[in-house]
Amino acid sequence: MHTTPPIKSLFVLVVTLLLFAIAQGQVHCGLVQIEPNSSVNAMMTFDSFSKYTGGYTINGVAKIRVRVEDKAVIDPLCSWNLTMIVDNNPAAGTPANEWEELNLYGIGSGQNPLVDALEIRIRNSCGTSPMDGIYTSFSNNMDIIDIIAPMLPVTPAGTCAINTNGPGSYMTNYDEFNFTIDIRVKPGYDFNPGIFQLNVKFKLEENI
Amino acid sequence: MKKVGLLTAAMMIAGMTTVNAQLIDEKDVTVTLDLQPVLQLDMSTPDQIEFVFDDIDEYYAGITHYGATILKVSSTVSWDLYAVGRSTGTNGPEFWDQQIDYGNSNPNAQPNLPLSLLELRQAQANNGSGAATGGFADYSGAFSPSSVPAGGNSLYVNGGTNTAPSANDKYIAGHAGTSGVAGQDFMEGGSYMNQNGVNSDYYYVIDYRILPGLPAIFPMAHDADGATAEDLVSVNGAGAYAEPGVYTMYVQYILLEDQ
Repeated sequence: MHTTPPIKSLFVLVVTLLLFAIAQGQVHCGLVQIEPNSSVNAMMTFDSFSKYTGGYTINGVAKIRVRVEDKAVIDPLCSWNLTMIVDNNPAAGTPANEWEELNLYGIGSGQNPLVDALEIRIRNSCGTSPMDGIYTSFSNNMDIIDIIAPMLPVTPAGTCAINTNGPGSYMTNYDEFNFTIDIRVKPGYDFNPGIFQLNVKFKLEENI
Repeated sequence: MKKVGLLTAAMMIAGMTTVNAQLIDEKDVTVTLDLQPVLQLDMSTPDQIEFVFDDIDEYYAGITHYGATILKVSSTVSWDLYAVGRSTGTNGPEFWDQQIDYGNSNPNAQPNLPLSLLELRQAQANNGSGAATGGFADYSGAFSPSSVPAGGNSLYVNGGTNTAPSANDKYIAGHAGTSGVAGQDFMEGGSYMNQNGVNSDYYYVIDYRILPGLPAIFPMAHDADGATAEDLVSVNGAGAYAEPGVYTMYVQYILLEDQ
C-alpha cells in the first residue's frame, strides 16, 4: 500500500499557511474607494485671443471623494495614498512629452502642445496635501505626482493635519477626504492648432 | 493523494490572494484641448481716402496721407501679411475704375490708370523677409522724390486677383515660402496687445501717396516686383497722360497663415 509520507504533507501545509499569512498581511483596510469614480471629460476650447493669452481655467473640474474604512477587526496600519498619473496614449505614437494628437488644423508651427502645458491644482479645506493650492504640471507620459504620498506614517483623520491618511470618509471628514481638482492651460502662440488629448488618472491605494 | 494535496493548497493560496489583494480605486479626468487657429487683423482707417488733385503743386509733389491706415495683427499661428490693389474691373482687372471723365476726347488721354500707381509706406520694416529674392521685400523704404521714379513703394497687383505675392514681390510682414526658419518667410504667432516699445512686428502704420507728375503719367507705377515701369508713357507710348476724371480702387489687406 502506497501512502503520502507525513513529513511531506506537513511541509505542504506549512507553505500554504505561510503564503496565506503573507497574502493576508498585505491588507490593512476593509474598503478603499473614490466616490463616484466615474470618469470626467473636460473640453477646453481656445477660440479667442484672450484665452490664448490669459489661459483657460476650469476650477472644480472634478472632485476626488475618498472613503477608506477599517476592517471588521481594526488594523492600526490601515492608511492610504493618493497619486495622479498622466497618460498621453503612447501606443498611438505620441512622443513622451506631448499631448496625444487627435486632429490638426492647418499647418501650424510644427510643435504639438507639451504635456507640461497642463497645470493641475489640488485643494481641500484642510490643505492636507503638501501640494495643496499649488499649480503643478507633468513633464512626460506616466509621470506621477503625489497628492498624499505612499508609505507615510499613519496620520489619523479628524485633526485637519497635513498628510492625513488614516481611515475616514468624505461623509464624516469632508475637509480632509474631499479633493477638488482645478486645471489650467495657457498655450501661448507656440503650438499647432488642432485637437489634443491627455488623461490624468487619480489612483487611491491602501498602503501596504 | 499527493496531487490532491498540492492542488488544494494552490487553490487556497489563489483564493486568499484574490480576496485580500491591495485595495485600489481610480478615477480618470480626460482633458481635450481644442486649439482653434485665430488670425485677427484689426484695421483703423477711413472708409474712403480721397486724393483730389486740383492744384498744380499737387501734381508735381503728389499727395500723401500719413498714417491713414493702422494694421494690428493677432495670430496664434505663423503668419504673412500683404496688400494687394484691386478694382471692380470696369476698365480692366489691373486698372482703376473710372467713375466719370471730365469731357476729354484727346486720343492721348488715357482712362486706364494702373492700380500700381498707388504707393504705400509701412513704418515698421518687415522682419520676416529673409527669403525674399526681389529688389523690394516690403514697403518700408522712403517715398522716392518725384524726380527719381522708383518702384519700391508701388502697390502689389496681380491681375486683379488677391493671389499672394511671390518671393520677388512685396509683403508687409512675412514672405513667400514655408522654410520654418524664423525671420526667413513668416512672422511668429503673437499679438500687438502684449508688445512693448514703439516698434512692433504686429503693428503697422501705413502711409499712402499718389504722385501724378506733370504731365500726369504716374512715374512711380511699377509692376509687382518693382522692376518694370508701368507709367502711362512706358505702357502707352510718348504723349500719353491721364484722362481727368474720378477714379476709384481699393486696397485689400490679407492676413493668412504662413504659406
